[in-house]
Amino acid sequence: MISFNEIVREALKSQAAAKQRTLLALIGIVIGIGSVIALVTVGEMVQLTSEQQFRQMGTNIITIQRGWGDSKEGGGNPDRPDQMITWTEAKGLAKKFPKLEAVAPYTSSWGQPLFADKSLDMPVLGVTRSFADLNKLTLAKGRFISDLDGYSFFGVLGAGAAAKLAKLGAGDPLGKTVFFKGRGFKIIGVLARAEEGGMRPFEINPGMMIPIHTSFLFKKERVINEIMARIAPNMDRRRLKSRLDQYFKMYQPDMSIQVRSAEQLINEMAKQSRLFTLLLGAIGSISLLVGGIGVMNVMLVAVSERRKEIGVRRALGAMQSDIRAQFLVESVILCLAGGLIGIALGVGAAYVLAKVNGWIFFVSGMGLALGVGVSSAIGVFFGYFPARQASRLNPILALRDE
Amino acid sequence: MALIELRGITKTYHIGDMSVEVLRGVDLTVESGELLAIMGESGGGKSTLMNIIGFLDSPSGGGYQFEGQDAGHLDDNELAHIRNQKIGFIFQQFNLLPRLNALENVMLPLVYRGVPPRQREKVAKQMLKQVGMADRMAHRPPELSGGQQQRVAIARALSGSPSLILADEPTGALDSKVSQEILDIFLELNRENKITTVMVTHDPKVGKQCRRTVRMADGHLLEV
Repeated sequence: MISFNEIVREALKSQAAAKQRTLLALIGIVIGIGSVIALVTVGEMVQLTSEQQFRQMGTNIITIQRGWGDSKEGGGNPDRPDQMITWTEAKGLAKKFPKLEAVAPYTSSWGQPLFADKSLDMPVLGVTRSFADLNKLTLAKGRFISDLDGYSFFGVLGAGAAAKLAKLGAGDPLGKTVFFKGRGFKIIGVLARAEEGGMRPFEINPGMMIPIHTSFLFKKERVINEIMARIAPNMDRRRLKSRLDQYFKMYQPDMSIQVRSAEQLINEMAKQSRLFTLLLGAIGSISLLVGGIGVMNVMLVAVSERRKEIGVRRALGAMQSDIRAQFLVESVILCLAGGLIGIALGVGAAYVLAKVNGWIFFVSGMGLALGVGVSSAIGVFFGYFPARQASRLNPILALRDE
Repeated sequence: MALIELRGITKTYHIGDMSVEVLRGVDLTVESGELLAIMGESGGGKSTLMNIIGFLDSPSGGGYQFEGQDAGHLDDNELAHIRNQKIGFIFQQFNLLPRLNALENVMLPLVYRGVPPRQREKVAKQMLKQVGMADRMAHRPPELSGGQQQRVAIARALSGSPSLILADEPTGALDSKVSQEILDIFLELNRENKITTVMVTHDPKVGKQCRRTVRMADGHLLEV
């Protein structure tokens, strides 16, 4: 019985002898592994990037919305004020739950504010001071809404809204007036652009924020759309939902609420993107299959070209298993070499994609393990049949071969 | 004790519905240390007999005793093992592996025997020296002449210190001067080292120099 080192040494020599063919066979594997690595890495990068958006805000953020009947969609029914969370409930929340470190109820409406008689299509949010804190908003100019602003007609513009105004020739928007529902709002601050995604309401960048009490003036009731809150690290998260349920039922017995936490969303996203990664990986696997068939072809050619060699080795005492191992190792080495080149190319492609799209670049350990594992597995799988064929050659006939 | 004892060996090949009887009851005894030439026309069954003696093939009938052990019915692994341990093959076309250099070719039987590399190399170098190829060890077969290749092949056959050297037309591809040189190696190995040698040849000059000659014809073996 021949030792494993010996087989590997022999295999390397054979590969070197058939350089051109070896190279051609590698291309299939290189492309296959390369695309799998690139796809898997991109999948993981996208996931990490979107997770990062959550983490930047903090993973201890929750949002509370009115449940909408049996549907899983939150948000309440804006047309039915009796089915919305009210300001009273929101205000009482902080007192009842001291471990909610910051509570930011807000209202949201879409309107056509006017600036210099031109209509601006933008959302208007009624907010409190804590809204800026929870969403980690930073100001480019001026100040944010304060809780002392009461019913004043002040507005803070998101970065996108400020750009819109600038296009209409506002210049520095500070101190300018934007009309909304017939009332003039004095712009007291402009926000720096906020990262999108995560738990952050999408209305921030394109919208205008006004004091929450002022926003109630335009509604029949003092109802709010959503409450954002930050929970203290030592808060019991499992019982939070049921305690919140109880709290809101005190006010409206038939009320159901929806609580979403950053953690929960991250987990859901992770699950989704794992699926996505798997799917992409599966597509890449098809090219691997093609590559594997190419390797099988090359190995079959190698076996038929080296019948004489097989016969000689058998005459000198090689067992069938020695011959099989020899060709199997050759096939695995071939695929591994292709796999390593493919990994390098795939990581390179992922790097370029990350730079272009602004994703966080990293080398996926799972991708690398997958690449090495899959290419060896392909070597074994597609090498087995040719190797078996080689081992079963009749030594007498093989020796007679020219 | 005889090294080889063949009793009524038959070999029949089946090709489709046809069956061809290549060996029709061969009796042969080869003592240890003998130098035997098997002569005869091509198609007479020489090669088949060689394959059976060399454990490349199994007989269809009859008895084969090798070193006093029944060797007629061995499975593929046992055949490979006994070839590796007991037989040294020499072929008309040398059959060296072209990618390996002379030294590596000579080491090959020891590779399959699991001999560690350093010891393998030592033995192989010694064998190459013995056949006068010490200065060509790093050459590959295509860089060697026919005679040189056959010397390397002899070294390879000897490297496993086999009980039996089986040479199939060892001088068939060489000119007469080189043929004689190669034959001299066989004669010397047999005389000095008492290596049992069975040689297939159709060259009467070769046959004449062997101490014992048998003739194969039509599946039967005749002493000459």
